[in-house]
Amino acid sequence: MIKKFIHQFASPKTYLYQVSRFYKYIFYFSLIIYIISIIWGLFFTPEDFVQGNSYRIIYLHVPASFLSQTLYLAMAISSITYLIWRVKLAAYLIIAIAPIGAMTTFIALISGSIWGIPTWGTWWQWDARITSTLILFIMYLGLISLHNSFSNHEKADKLLSWLVIVGAVNIPIIKKSVDWWSTLHQSASITLTDKPSIDPVMLYPLIGSIVGFFGLVICLVLLSSKYQILHREKNKSWVKDYV
Amino acid sequence: MNPIRKKRIYSILFVLLFSVSGISLILYSLNSNLDYFFTPTELKDRNIPADKRIKVGGMVLSGSVERISSSIFFVITDYENSIKVEYEGIVPDLFKEDSGVVVLGNLRDKILYAEEVLAKHDENYMPPNIEINDDN
Amino acid sequence: MFNFAFNSFYEALYMNGHGLYVWSVVILVFISLLGFFIGYTVKIKKIKDKLNEPN
Repeated sequence: MIKKFIHQFASPKTYLYQVSRFYKYIFYFSLIIYIISIIWGLFFTPEDFVQGNSYRIIYLHVPASFLSQTLYLAMAISSITYLIWRVKLAAYLIIAIAPIGAMTTFIALISGSIWGIPTWGTWWQWDARITSTLILFIMYLGLISLHNSFSNHEKADKLLSWLVIVGAVNIPIIKKSVDWWSTLHQSASITLTDKPSIDPVMLYPLIGSIVGFFGLVICLVLLSSKYQILHREKNKSWVKDYV
Repeated sequence: MNPIRKKRIYSILFVLLFSVSGISLILYSLNSNLDYFFTPTELKDRNIPADKRIKVGGMVLSGSVERISSSIFFVITDYENSIKVEYEGIVPDLFKEDSGVVVLGNLRDKILYAEEVLAKHDENYMPPNIEINDDN
Repeated sequence: MFNFAFNSFYEALYMNGHGLYVWSVVILVFISLLGFFIGYTVKIKKIKDKLNEPN
């Protein structure tokens, strides 16, 4: 039964109809959470005892950095699914996610640079965290341009999946870089194992901003995968019925 | 499970193993070269040529900061060993005693002549009033 | 927990000199999100129009 359910959902057609059903709920829900959290974080939290008001960039920087890594993991899972079961939808998802991953990584890098000016006194240093994040950004761009350079979609999908899997090693490196080496970047404030080292009044809007941004990015992935499906399956008869 | 899929799973695991071990070897051989800065203790037994620029990180020793005209003198410590620093220029706002700092400069006669001073803050975020109780 | 952290609207914009950094990041994030949402909506609309064209 589970197998049947997966097969059904994994068909681009069912996926598209389900997306149209749920899209607007996810969108409005996460948009409201995100905007409330950002306003809460920017205006209704006290300033930080060391960084003053510049710490408020955390409400924009952390969600973007978190998503830049999560989206890569999503691409890796799609790649494995595609390579083992040859699920077409998984292949569409890989290339649908890549530009959005590049965008979140770009935001993480730029917002981190801007945050560095008033706190560290520099906008760029080659420490392990910053450099590995730059590598992630370059990897996203590489994957996108590689896929675009192929005229044979199926070949491109396969090559891309393999490269995504090889590049996945970078994700734990980014995550652990601040623990393995000495870096200018501080270690994580929120971890699964320890109590957060950020005060609760500052933590709640941060969690809200992560949840909200996550939801908005999911919406972007839904839109982008919808485009991919329409683009790749435009000759199928069901697409004509759909549009 | 279908034998073709089994074969695919094995090849994925093989590729993963291959890339993980490859990258681990590279990182292992680079190890300390990937460190952003030295601590004063790491520098103690090392002979650094005077013309080589190095980064030293640690805490600013409390009570060590001294400003004479446009120069600033302070001591970086990791609470085991310390290094004296001399710097001419503007330090970042977050530079203060008992907080993190990373200095780029040349080490001559046990004094670090700094070209650049960066502040390093930790992962703790809290409102200011909690800290005031702590100080007084 | 919900106290306004600033004394005036101007102070909230200025943020003790850090406003420039904070607001430029806010603008960057919102422009990127907006750009991507609009971009994909337009792309989907274009491809739908194309598919709807009578052949």
